[in-house]
Amino acid sequence: MTRKISILSLLLISTFSVSISSAVIAASDENLTVYSTRKEHLIKPLFDAFTAKTGIKVAYLTGKGGALIERIKLEGKRTKADIFMTVDAGNLWYASTQNLFQAADSELIESNIPSHLRDPDGLWTGLSVRARTIIYSTERVDPNELSTYQDLANAKWEGRLCLRTSKKVYTKSLVSSLIYHDGIEKTTEVVKGWVKNLAATPHAEDVHIMTSILAGQCDVGIVNSYYFGRLQAEDPNVPLKLFWANQDSSGTHVNISGAGIVKHSSSPSEALELLEFLSSIEAQKIYVGLNKEYPASQKLKADNLIAVWGDFNQDKMNLSVAGEKQAESVSLMQREGYK
Amino acid sequence: MKSKQNNSNFLMGMLALSVSFPIIVVCSAWFFPGTELWGHFAENLLPELISSTLLLLVGVGIGVSILGTVLAYLVVMVEFPGRSWLEWALFLPFAIPAYVLAFVYLGVFDYSGYAQVWLREYTGMPGFDIRAGSWAIILTFTLVFYPYVYMMARASFKRQKIQMIEAGKMLGAKPFEVFWRISVPLARPAIAAGLLVTLMETLADFGVVSLFNYSTFTTAIYSAWGDFRSIEVAAQLASILVLIAFFLIYFEKKARGKAKYYSSDVSHVRPYEANGLIGWLLFVLVFGVFMLSFAMPMLQLIIWSFEKYGEELSVMYSGYFSATGILTVTATILTVAVATLLALPSRRKAESKTLQMLIRFSTLGYALPGSVMAVGLLYGVQNISLVSIYLGGQSINHILFGSVALLLFAYISRFMAIAYNSTSASSEQIKPVYEQSARLLGSSRIRLIREVYLPMMTPGILAGGLLVAVDVMKELPATYLLRPFGWDTLAIRVFELSSEGLYDRAAIPALMMVFIGAIIMLLFIKLDSDKY
Repeated sequence: MTRKISILSLLLISTFSVSISSAVIAASDENLTVYSTRKEHLIKPLFDAFTAKTGIKVAYLTGKGGALIERIKLEGKRTKADIFMTVDAGNLWYASTQNLFQAADSELIESNIPSHLRDPDGLWTGLSVRARTIIYSTERVDPNELSTYQDLANAKWEGRLCLRTSKKVYTKSLVSSLIYHDGIEKTTEVVKGWVKNLAATPHAEDVHIMTSILAGQCDVGIVNSYYFGRLQAEDPNVPLKLFWANQDSSGTHVNISGAGIVKHSSSPSEALELLEFLSSIEAQKIYVGLNKEYPASQKLKADNLIAVWGDFNQDKMNLSVAGEKQAESVSLMQREGYK
Repeated sequence: MKSKQNNSNFLMGMLALSVSFPIIVVCSAWFFPGTELWGHFAENLLPELISSTLLLLVGVGIGVSILGTVLAYLVVMVEFPGRSWLEWALFLPFAIPAYVLAFVYLGVFDYSGYAQVWLREYTGMPGFDIRAGSWAIILTFTLVFYPYVYMMARASFKRQKIQMIEAGKMLGAKPFEVFWRISVPLARPAIAAGLLVTLMETLADFGVVSLFNYSTFTTAIYSAWGDFRSIEVAAQLASILVLIAFFLIYFEKKARGKAKYYSSDVSHVRPYEANGLIGWLLFVLVFGVFMLSFAMPMLQLIIWSFEKYGEELSVMYSGYFSATGILTVTATILTVAVATLLALPSRRKAESKTLQMLIRFSTLGYALPGSVMAVGLLYGVQNISLVSIYLGGQSINHILFGSVALLLFAYISRFMAIAYNSTSASSEQIKPVYEQSARLLGSSRIRLIREVYLPMMTPGILAGGLLVAVDVMKELPATYLLRPFGWDTLAIRVFELSSEGLYDRAAIPALMMVFIGAIIMLLFIKLDSDKY
């Protein structure tokens, strides 16, 4: 018995040490390491362009936001991460409250990216912009009927509305912005009305909202602009259109994907170089081309496909608010039974 | 001799405890003060979540018990057209990850899916939201998980004494009475064992429930963690899952009782023959299940991947394959090795209630959502580091985080239930008389293990290994959080694409997984048929 165990433990120890050392070696020949909740196929082309330009190699690890933040926290001073990259301002805000970032002091970034898309203290910066706005069936909805997010709570939309689940961060940030503009009571009424108007259980993905409208299950919904961009790129005649919500009031809610330099980064100057590159016109073009998003840079026009959707007024609320109000907005939605 | 045996009990206990490490960390969250979050949850979420979780468990439980048992009975006891190949084909759904089946079903059967569009066009019936209510998600879980019950019940039916059934027939019992009053009661322990695994996996699921936007207990766990940033409350909620799993195991043990009706010989005589119309009806029924749970989803995945393979296939795939392969093989060997050690029979072990409890506890990880277990593991390592620093040593975080070692550890903890079920089932058939006679003949325990126990347990060990391999290959959340750089698996690729709504591209890595899984299942089937 004991001999068996010692053989087994030898086996275990050897497997473990081989695998540990191989992991360490794999990570050490890269100069920069990015932890990202943005998926591989959306970030790799950017890093390839950066490596081609500077010779600095980039390793990356994708994962889910909450889990990656815990991992960086626990890795502490010895973390391999130089940059944490994520989608949604709420996640960036939370990472900054967890002391994950150091301030990036860069005039270049400040001149490239408008201030409402950056952290007030320079801890993180937005790198691409998506509008979360109303989408409608051109066959069954007259755009004159549409006006604001709040109006979708109106009884005329009963049985015609499709929404994404409240478990998704984009929904949380949108509702946070409503709370910021209108206060909690008015927003409660709006969410109540939305839930009443739903034609189907809230969907897991924006893509499903669009297919449901196409199939006739509902007439209007709220989606991120790039999902519609992708659909339109595949089928230019799709009978759906975006409507820019709240043009006469707060402006259309925008969200970002963004990044910040990790506090315990071992190569902060290279990290800054990458961040500056990502805000440059060259990289911003890749962002826009890859995912039909709007550039965060104020120096670049949108991609042809999305430029035809027209200009719109953005909600200029500083996006860190989306994070600060997130817990409030989630409790509100849970109270009102928005699943 | 005595002290040596005590020694081995102690070592087994330590082994079981270390497997339980992440579970213990999760449960220790109760030492941290809860927040006012509990108030909000208790008022707004928990009442609904508890009832929806119970509904799901009861529905899926009934579903898999009926489907798994009936299918197993039919293929073992009745001769009907197509029986011989369907008997094996029914194992194949094991190879499909639950979340893949869920996105295929939604793509086909939801309001905008082909099936409903076609129905509306040709019958004029109104469309409906299959995600409303709970019948569709119960059906989905039933179709993914029935093979667990099917597999266990089938093995049990095969071992039932044919004489008992013949006696029942001679006493004038109709086929259904024989099924219900003789065969099912005899197979009860096996059905309960399959049911237990199903319910634990349903409790831990996050992928299927989020695609259906169905709220279960895991919803509250992720809300506490993701929305309210309270990892303590998330762990406290997760520990309730551990408790539920513990009760389930208790009931399973009760259902099993002390009864062992197994005959060691297997009969190949099928007591019933279904000819003509009834035979074909049975074929349609069993074939229908196979179609719905395997053939149709495969076909859909193939159609999707035809559209996108040019865009999706790249050199990256060699990396996905090697990561998937290395992790699956290593994790399987380690998990099964530990499970075998824990399952080795010994009189001392049979006498020690504490040891049995510890071993049972070490299998509870199967009911924890993978990412909760993974974070538990990270926090556990952190605590060890803190103690080590306190004692003047160093932090070990940077050595273990992002190492293959920690990921393998997570797999062992998570899939111990599957491996242990198989190894212990085979060790339970070893009669105590072997130990006594070995001792009388003065043979050492090592020799006893090597020459008697291991050969007798080999089928169980191999079967457990193959099941663990399929599960490791499909595992997503723990892999996603703990993997080292560059160790992306096929499951991760599927997730990354499908969570962006790119189902057609996700179909390609999904198909590859199903393909590998199916090969593993074929090995399993081959092994199984050698047994009889």
